[in-house]
Amino acid sequence: MDNTTDIFELANYGIKIAEKKAPNFKCAEIFFGKNEYTNIELEENSIKYSEIGSDHGVSIRIYNRRGSLGFAFTNKFNKKIIEKIIKIAIKMMNAGTADPNFQNLPLKYKTYPNVKKLYDTSIETLTIEESIEYVKDLIKICKNDNLAISQSGDFTSSSNISYVFNSNDIEVFEKETVFSISSNIIVKNKSTGETSNGFESQIKRKLKDINGTNTAIEALKNAKRNLNRIKIKSKKMPVILSPKGTINLILNPIASAINAELFQYKRSFLVDKREKVIGSEYLTLEDNALIDGAVGSSNFDGEGVPCMNKKIINKGFFLKSGLLHNSYTAGKEGVESTGNGSRRSFSSVPSIGISNFVMQTGTSSIEEMIKDVKEGIFLNTTGDSANIATGDFSGLISQGNLIKDGEIKQALNETMFGINLLDLFKNIDAVSKDSRFYGPFKAPYVRIKDVQIIGAKS
Amino acid sequence: MEIKDELKLFDIDFINHLTQEAGNQIDYWDIRATISNGTSIDFTDQKSTEISSYEITNCGIRTFANGGVGFYVLNDLNKDLIRTSFLKSIKLAKLTESLSKHKFKIKEVDPINKNFKIKSKRKLVDVDIEEKILLVKNHEKLASNYSKKVKNTHTIYMDGVKSYVFINSFGSNIYQDLSYLRLLNIVYSQKGGVIQRSINSVGGLGGFEILSTEKAENLSVKTAQESIELLEAKSPVGGKFTIIADPKLAGTLIHEAFGHACEADLILSKESILEGKIGQKVAFDDINVVDNPSMGQGSKFGLPYELFGCYFVDDEGIPSQKTVLIENGVFKNYLHNLETSSRMNIPPNGHGRASTSSSKPQVRMGFTYIEPKDWNVDEMIQDTKNGILCEDFLYGYTNPTTGNFQFKCKFSYKIKNGEKQELMRDVALSGMILEVLKKISAIGDENTFGFSSGICGKGGQSVRVSDGGPYIRIDNITVGGLN
Repeated sequence: MDNTTDIFELANYGIKIAEKKAPNFKCAEIFFGKNEYTNIELEENSIKYSEIGSDHGVSIRIYNRRGSLGFAFTNKFNKKIIEKIIKIAIKMMNAGTADPNFQNLPLKYKTYPNVKKLYDTSIETLTIEESIEYVKDLIKICKNDNLAISQSGDFTSSSNISYVFNSNDIEVFEKETVFSISSNIIVKNKSTGETSNGFESQIKRKLKDINGTNTAIEALKNAKRNLNRIKIKSKKMPVILSPKGTINLILNPIASAINAELFQYKRSFLVDKREKVIGSEYLTLEDNALIDGAVGSSNFDGEGVPCMNKKIINKGFFLKSGLLHNSYTAGKEGVESTGNGSRRSFSSVPSIGISNFVMQTGTSSIEEMIKDVKEGIFLNTTGDSANIATGDFSGLISQGNLIKDGEIKQALNETMFGINLLDLFKNIDAVSKDSRFYGPFKAPYVRIKDVQIIGAKS
Repeated sequence: MEIKDELKLFDIDFINHLTQEAGNQIDYWDIRATISNGTSIDFTDQKSTEISSYEITNCGIRTFANGGVGFYVLNDLNKDLIRTSFLKSIKLAKLTESLSKHKFKIKEVDPINKNFKIKSKRKLVDVDIEEKILLVKNHEKLASNYSKKVKNTHTIYMDGVKSYVFINSFGSNIYQDLSYLRLLNIVYSQKGGVIQRSINSVGGLGGFEILSTEKAENLSVKTAQESIELLEAKSPVGGKFTIIADPKLAGTLIHEAFGHACEADLILSKESILEGKIGQKVAFDDINVVDNPSMGQGSKFGLPYELFGCYFVDDEGIPSQKTVLIENGVFKNYLHNLETSSRMNIPPNGHGRASTSSSKPQVRMGFTYIEPKDWNVDEMIQDTKNGILCEDFLYGYTNPTTGNFQFKCKFSYKIKNGEKQELMRDVALSGMILEVLKKISAIGDENTFGFSSGICGKGGQSVRVSDGGPYIRIDNITVGGLN
């Protein structure tokens, strides 16, 4: 798979065979994906491990007029293999059940958006030695700190190219780059022996935007903030979510809940809530695939449908058009696909996923938001996730601190909390003016009033 | 045993050639190559949403140079490509070594030259797709027709066969024919405004016979029944409680809340709260915990196949074996891969596992369990004044650095004055690794012993695991709830 023309030729050949060989043929799609990456890992605050690899493959999706889908994939490329996997896909299709809800694969589009800065050419000349320099920045921060005793982390650069072809004349391809760096720093309170960790990461399209020093500084800050942990008593109090906490408790659950597939199966707590107020006026959200250089941006989705910017929630009001569709769910509902057919690699059929999921910022500074709290919780992360069918959340504060008289105090151990997300959305009473991008999520600090905290202290 | 054609290229001459190329440049290398074929069938509401089939080739070449590790991943198998990638991997290891602070050599272990094969009564390749679909359809039908309250059913069937070659610089040359299968069933039920779901799965190493046990045949009915029972369940009240954990929850608890912290890579990176705790008392006097992923244990549970978390050799060619983690409350051993055992100067114990040949082996668990003792489960409940009987789990996780963990239970029954009472849902348990095992006050007998299997994630890789134990009672656990 070195030559672009070969791919086009192979794809057209494959589509033709599928049309010819599949009984009761409706449509077919061929997807090629290729990923090349370099990964440098850090352990015990020392460079430890270097990996170079590639992963490429081809898959075929084929439907008959009954709407039955056959799917097959492999990671080899040549005409013979293509013929073989098409034969297998047809066998799978013939064995499947009819689906009257299936309409068609996407039809040809005249225009596509022109999102910029998805590919950074500097990856073409990036050497292992240069990659290691980013990891060295991480090492320095940990080495120069008295409390830090160890760090693991990594730097990864990857370039992806994907091609979508279908029998309705869709023929698109796109190149993109992703660079990421992460740091997990361990700190130890030497007098008490207590240990704690702090994690931070960056994912960027552009190599120059990766900053190892800042990543490690932030991880170290999180780790130190998580020392001197105490158990607290159960009580109702306000909670301030860090951008990571906002992703855990607001953005991620909403991203799942507005997935049209979940909606159609009535498995989302937001079913029947469209065109209704579901949160406070501080809750405004969009899924925007068109931000130049953003990690979640794209010109077309995993099915070749043009991407766009969709408003989801406006000042607490959940918009009628606020669902994310791929071509299947859109066809079932009789609307246009929103270009959210997401594909993790050639080995999966398109599901539904976000592009850049952005929560609108507010006017307060984070300092002001904390200052206003007499007694509350600063929640950095939780490892739990809400039940999307019911909206119920109950879980552990993995990293969080007590706020007392407007200041962040001791970290928390064994502290849990529970709330229904609809109550959480309604109880948002402040949003920071600053926000952070973590991968495809852009999140501010958010304050929520009256959250039931369950402490381990009796 | 018939070796797959494409994997025959790893012959003696080729291995000798690689050994020569490596010379004295590195102290260890290994190559893993697999060809995997599989099917997956996905049904929702009695209709197929995806029926798929794949063939994937993976190869990973790993080199160690005095503490620097190089890894080169490729998709194609031919001698030239492997040779050049081998040299690149050596270069990576040496470059990494030049910047690495921690110098070490991989300690030599005895080579293994052996072939292994998973036995199956009905080979997966001999079962045609129509029969597999029919089975899935049947499960969907049973679940959908179970009650009018069932709103949504989802069944996923996955199988795979793998031809797997492992060679290393110690002279090991291992060929394996592996075969696995997993069936997962999810049912959503609804009553009024309440939606509840239940998930169950059956999985093992073997052939299509895995799905003909009574447990497998009842899978979807059980799932439907559970999701309906949960509709009537109450939300828990948060606070401190005595809990009795069933084998599934006890197994997950020992896996999450203790097992991960035993992984020696986390010890070396100072990320585990168990660092330096070997020989110390970490648990209730009476408790023994082991990890034993060796083959041949399915029959102990009356199953015609091998447990999902078990293996012949790990992904570094070390035979699976029984490792004692806790003996009479005292912490005994870490879990090791080649690197951590070399660095700690003890023999490896077979826990270097990778999700595919294109991922590096990490320290992972296999089949982790608490050994049974002498409590009868009814007596355990009768002996509990105020508490919660927790059965099965939804998920669990732990932070090995702070020792804080959390679980969500599937079914929880209130216990009052020694009697099992009403059902509660979404009970969340939290605690600290070094405290919880000391709070155990009763361990069930052999008759109560059980296990469960699933997929465990670490560092972006997923591996098959099993865990289990008898019923156990733990005092003074923090329970989270919505009220």
